[in-house]
Amino acid sequence: MTRLRIKIVGQSGMGLLSVGEMLIDAFNELGLFVVCDREYPSLIKGGYSCFTINVSDERIFSLSEFADVMVAIDNVSLNQYFDFLVKDGVLIHGMEKAISIKQISEKAIGKNIKVININARETSKASGGSVLMQNTVLVGMAWKVLGIDIGVIETALKKRFEGKINIIETNLRCVKAGYDSVVSENLATGLVKKMSVKKSEKKFLIDGNKAIALGAINCGVRAYFSYPMSPSSTILSYLAEMSGKTDMIIKQAEDEITAAQMALGAMHMGTRAFAATSGGGYDLMTETVSLAGMLENPLVIVVGQRPGPATGLPTWTMQGDLNLAVFSSHGEFPRIVLAVSDPIDAFYLIQHAFNFAEKFQIPVIVLSEKTICEGKINVLPYDENAVDIERGLVSEEELKDIKREDRYALTETGVSKRWLSGDSEVYYFANGDEHFVDGSLTEEADEVEKMYEKRMRKIETIKKTLPKPEIFGEKNADISFVGWGSSKNVMIDTIAICLEKGVKVNYLHYSFVWPIDGKSLKDFFSKNKNVHLIEENYLGQFGNLAEAEIQEKFAGRLLKFNGRPFFVEDLIDYIDKNSKK
Amino acid sequence: MSENVLKKLAGNVKDYMKFETEKPITWCTGCGNFGIQNALKRALALEGIVQKDVLFCFDVGCSGNGADKIEGYTLHGLHGRVISLAAGAALANSDIKVISFGGDGATFSEGPGHLIHAVRSNYPVIFVHHNNENFGLTTGQPSASTRKGVRMNAAPDGVFLEPINTMDFVLSLKPSFVARGFSGDIDYLTEIFRKALRHDGFAYLEVLQTCPTYNRDTPEHWYAERIKHIEDAKNYDSSDIWQARKLMQDIENEIYTGVIFEDKSKVNFLRAIPNRKNAKTVLKDEVKKYSISEFL
Repeated sequence: MTRLRIKIVGQSGMGLLSVGEMLIDAFNELGLFVVCDREYPSLIKGGYSCFTINVSDERIFSLSEFADVMVAIDNVSLNQYFDFLVKDGVLIHGMEKAISIKQISEKAIGKNIKVININARETSKASGGSVLMQNTVLVGMAWKVLGIDIGVIETALKKRFEGKINIIETNLRCVKAGYDSVVSENLATGLVKKMSVKKSEKKFLIDGNKAIALGAINCGVRAYFSYPMSPSSTILSYLAEMSGKTDMIIKQAEDEITAAQMALGAMHMGTRAFAATSGGGYDLMTETVSLAGMLENPLVIVVGQRPGPATGLPTWTMQGDLNLAVFSSHGEFPRIVLAVSDPIDAFYLIQHAFNFAEKFQIPVIVLSEKTICEGKINVLPYDENAVDIERGLVSEEELKDIKREDRYALTETGVSKRWLSGDSEVYYFANGDEHFVDGSLTEEADEVEKMYEKRMRKIETIKKTLPKPEIFGEKNADISFVGWGSSKNVMIDTIAICLEKGVKVNYLHYSFVWPIDGKSLKDFFSKNKNVHLIEENYLGQFGNLAEAEIQEKFAGRLLKFNGRPFFVEDLIDYIDKNSKK
Repeated sequence: MSENVLKKLAGNVKDYMKFETEKPITWCTGCGNFGIQNALKRALALEGIVQKDVLFCFDVGCSGNGADKIEGYTLHGLHGRVISLAAGAALANSDIKVISFGGDGATFSEGPGHLIHAVRSNYPVIFVHHNNENFGLTTGQPSASTRKGVRMNAAPDGVFLEPINTMDFVLSLKPSFVARGFSGDIDYLTEIFRKALRHDGFAYLEVLQTCPTYNRDTPEHWYAERIKHIEDAKNYDSSDIWQARKLMQDIENEIYTGVIFEDKSKVNFLRAIPNRKNAKTVLKDEVKKYSISEFL
């Protein structure tokens, strides 16, 4: 598998995002597979940031920690990231004073790195561009270095600035000036040339947050309530931008408690609504989650995880809030926790979340991670009819004979009939206090016990219904992994890389994290003798739940908790040390 | 209550009775909640609103214990959060009248943020603030509206802080409807409820409520001596916010009740939100598959 690795580094606010976006547009235009993610500090201007792009002619899902080509917008960031540029790599920069990067230049010689430099600012000016358009000059330089036809990047630029004729023309001049400035002996690594581009169906670059927004629209969500919090905030922006066409109600609430309460109230009345937040915001929502448990009211909350505790690392990634999702809120009640892993499954899983929430009348917590929220891959058009809407409401026929006692009737499955305010003359009480079958309050010991057991019976019903975890990779593996969330991405890539080296790896992936399907896990353990945990947190939260469920121990634990996602190198290193080959 | 209204109520007595519960009531004898619920049920019957047309949303506390003591669709939520819960419900199905209830602890201690933004957003919700000037269900601790100097549970030397002037606070938010009633003045409270039911937007209705168990400082007769009707205020214009605020400064001597302020020009949230101005359906009926291909 060929993988081209690019890092664009610069200070926040200097436009490195637009350099990255132009490049990924162009790679997508070429028909190649793209994965990208951004690293940046929690501030608007300054600090060092990095936009990482990996490209391949085969589907890849995760990133390498290193780069073959580095595009540097300023020297602070360059100093920070230079060590990630590999031996024989290419450094492209547009800084006028080479003195400030003297040390880097020396290091570059040591690593046999080609340094390609013109004064990008002057070049931009000479082409009629602004200071910021020096970034477009850099894009042109990078494109030439990669040895790809300029027409591709020109098309991408035209699409990007569609309708803005002046901007397009200036950008085209800048990109050409950059492109032409690179002499042919500096043409790169030829990595792209090695890739065989299969012209396939048009693909779309999309991040996890947009995938969740689109999945929600697709399955009939009509209201969204949210208080902005990284890394979930762009769900709010995406849905707001699309609301002119979707006619959804998008309300920026005054706090997370409100967002959760409004979503609960709206779901109670029978529409589909949800809220998204991060760990800290979810903390505030937990009382509402408990209420949903008692009312047996559907509720869907998306938690885009970032490292805590407290404000933690607001713009970095982690899988640290699984325990929070599983154990949050006072009292005991059934719930489902599911975890998305990329912009493909996010589109479908959010739809399942609504179906489960409504069918079982429970809260469903959807875990995402910063690296999924903001990381983009290019996807084929979604199958918009893959997930049918399941409301779990009574039919019109059933409604005719409905009785008040049906609402919380003590059924075997734990699920009772649900109908909506105004649907029938037969009303019920949705009561946050413990209640009888019609919802009226009780504190009688026997009645309390019966209702409590009825609710908790749903756990078994849910377990029987939840889809099984998915196995990726080889039988008779030399090393096996179990994980959830974005771990899937690095595992899929690692399995392919290791296979080329003759090492067999497999991976059991949980999208439906809670309640844990222990049977599948036990089965995986019985068929694989060297099973390890991969998880992005300190405690190995999923690992602990899994071990408790099946009373077996993982052979080892690959844990990471520094805010960075798993890179393929993390896995390769770990497998080198732990595979039983 | 005028003869005409009485006649109408008599005609709608069946509708009234449907809201009546047969369950034992758990409020103290003499609790203001009886008067409030009675006036509400009368107003609903008079306005032709039947069980199917209304959702009652309850906060936690003595008022919240009414959640299964009125026969109809009810939703009993968390402490301090009922306004947001009711707002979510109202936005999802504006064909249903949403009426919410909370005490002074919920409204002015636990969840004032929700009140502020509900007023600003002008959600189509009635909120009834049961102001009995104490935390009843937790056995009589002071609330933000307990009067200064009063000895309460957990305030053995008397409350040493000034109370919040709740009416003035709400009026400062540029509301669309603000009213005040008294739980012992049921006929008049009925009329206030009727006006709130007709209001299109967020209706804040504060009811001064006697609490015979924990609020001995301002008992029934204390209010009875001070309560005035707004119709009796000279040259009063309920569209004049400054007149309203001035009148509400007095919480000791002349306590005016009625519709204190109304701004009919303010449109409710559902008609203010730009993309829903021409909506013909309610969100509840819009749940179906939507194509997303144009957004890729």
